[in-house]
Amino acid sequence: MSAHADTLTHDSHEAHGHGALSENNFLGLPNIKLAMWAFLGSECMFFGSLIGTYFFYHGNSLSGPLPKDVFSIGITSISTFLLLMSSVTMALGVDAMRQQKPMKARTFILLTAALGACFVGFQVVEFHEFYTEKHLVFAGPNASLFGSTFYTMTGFHGTHVTVGVIWLLIMSVLITKKKLVPGKEAVNVEVMGLYWHFVDIVWIVIFTFVYLLEFLK
Amino acid sequence: MSHGHDSHELPHSHQKQYIILGVVLSIVTFIELGIPLIKGVPELWTAAKEVWAPLLVVLSIFKFGAVVGDFMHLRTDLTLYKILFVSPLFLAMFSFFAIGSLSIVHFHPFGKGYAITAQDLADGYVPPATGATAEPPLADDKFEAAFADAQKTSFAKGKETFTASCASCHRADGGGMPGLGVNLSDDCYKHGGKIAALYTTIAKGVSGTAMPAWQNSMDSEKMRQVAYYVRSLKGTNVAGGKECEGPKE
Repeated sequence: MSAHADTLTHDSHEAHGHGALSENNFLGLPNIKLAMWAFLGSECMFFGSLIGTYFFYHGNSLSGPLPKDVFSIGITSISTFLLLMSSVTMALGVDAMRQQKPMKARTFILLTAALGACFVGFQVVEFHEFYTEKHLVFAGPNASLFGSTFYTMTGFHGTHVTVGVIWLLIMSVLITKKKLVPGKEAVNVEVMGLYWHFVDIVWIVIFTFVYLLEFLK
Repeated sequence: MSHGHDSHELPHSHQKQYIILGVVLSIVTFIELGIPLIKGVPELWTAAKEVWAPLLVVLSIFKFGAVVGDFMHLRTDLTLYKILFVSPLFLAMFSFFAIGSLSIVHFHPFGKGYAITAQDLADGYVPPATGATAEPPLADDKFEAAFADAQKTSFAKGKETFTASCASCHRADGGGMPGLGVNLSDDCYKHGGKIAALYTTIAKGVSGTAMPAWQNSMDSEKMRQVAYYVRSLKGTNVAGGKECEGPKE
C-alpha cells in the first residue's frame, strides 16, 4: 500500500485533473481497472449469449450453405495466430510501460494495433467471400439460421477488435505527445491490455468451438 | 521522467515469461490445428475417436486460462477482480447450457425457402442476379405481408404435398403404417428430426426401405415445405400411431 500512497502524493501536484480515471478510489484501487473488470464480466455474458445462440440454432438451417461449405481453415488459422501474437505484444507493451519505458511500450502497442488490423482485414475478406461467392446471407428471405447467427457473433467480435485497434492508436499518440504520466498512468495502458486480451480469449473460444469442432464432425 | 529515485521500486519485468508463454500458446494452437487433419489418417482417427473433440476443448480451456491468468494477471491479482470476472463467466456458461438443453419444440414459421443449398448449386441452380439486374427490394410493410403470406401458403403447400405423396405410407395424420412409413407424430427419428436432417431424408430417401429419394421428382422448394410440415407434426402423438423407432429427439 505504500506504493499507492507514494503515487498519490506525486499526482496531487502533477496531474491537473486529467487523470481522474486512473485515480484510486476509496478501496485504494484504480477506478478504471475496477470498471474494466466489471465491464469484461458483462462482456462474458454478451458473447456467451451470442455463441449460445449460434449453437442453439446449429444444424437447424433448412438451407445452405452450411458451415462446412464456407469455412476455410487456412485463412482462419492465420488470423487466429495473428491475434494470439498480438496478445503477446500487448503484454510486452504493458510490461514496458510499468518499467517506465514509454517509447518501448509504444513500439509494442503499435505492433499490437498492426496485428489487430490484419485480423480485421482477414475478417473483411472472409465475410466478403462468404457473402458474394458462397451466398451466405445475413438477413432477409434468403438468410439462413447459420448465416444470421454466424455473422452476428463474429461481426460483434470483429467490431470489438476494431474498437481495440482505435484505442491502441489513440494510446500511442498520447504516449508520443507525453500526455501519459509514465508511472501512475501506466494503469491506462494496463486496462487497455485487459480489453485486448479479452478480445483474444473470445476468439480462442470461437475458433475452437465454431471452426475447429466443425471439422471433427 | 523526474522519478529517477523510483527506479529501484519498478515492478519486476515479466518480459521473458510473456515470450515463453507466447511460444507455448503457439505450439498449442498448432496442435489444435493438427487435430482436424488426423481425420485424413483413418487408423489414427478411429483409434481414439472419442478423444479428439474433448482434447480440443481442453486445449482451448488451457489457452483461455493462460491468457486470463498470466497476460491479464488475474491469477495473482486481487480477489475482487477475480469475482468480477469469473462469476459472470460461470453465469454465461450456465445460460449457455440452459439454452442448449431446450429444444426447438414448435413449428418454425420461417416460411418460404431460405437460401440455396449446396445440393441446389450442384444441381445447376443459378442464384438470382444481384446489383443492377436484381429486383428492387420490397418496402418493409409489403415485405412483411408477402412474408406472412408465403409462410401460410408454404405450410399449406407442405400439407398438400404430404397428403398427395407421403400419406400413402405415413398416413394422412403422420401416424405411420406397419411395414411402411414410420410414425412422424411422435418424437423419435431414425434419421434425425432437425429440419436439415428431415430435408436430407426426404431428398435422398432411405435405401433398403420403401422411402424413395424425392429429389428425383420434387424440387427443393417443395421438399422444404414438406420438411417443415413434418416438423410441425412432432409431438402430436396421434391415436393409433406406430411405436417409437429410432432415438428420441
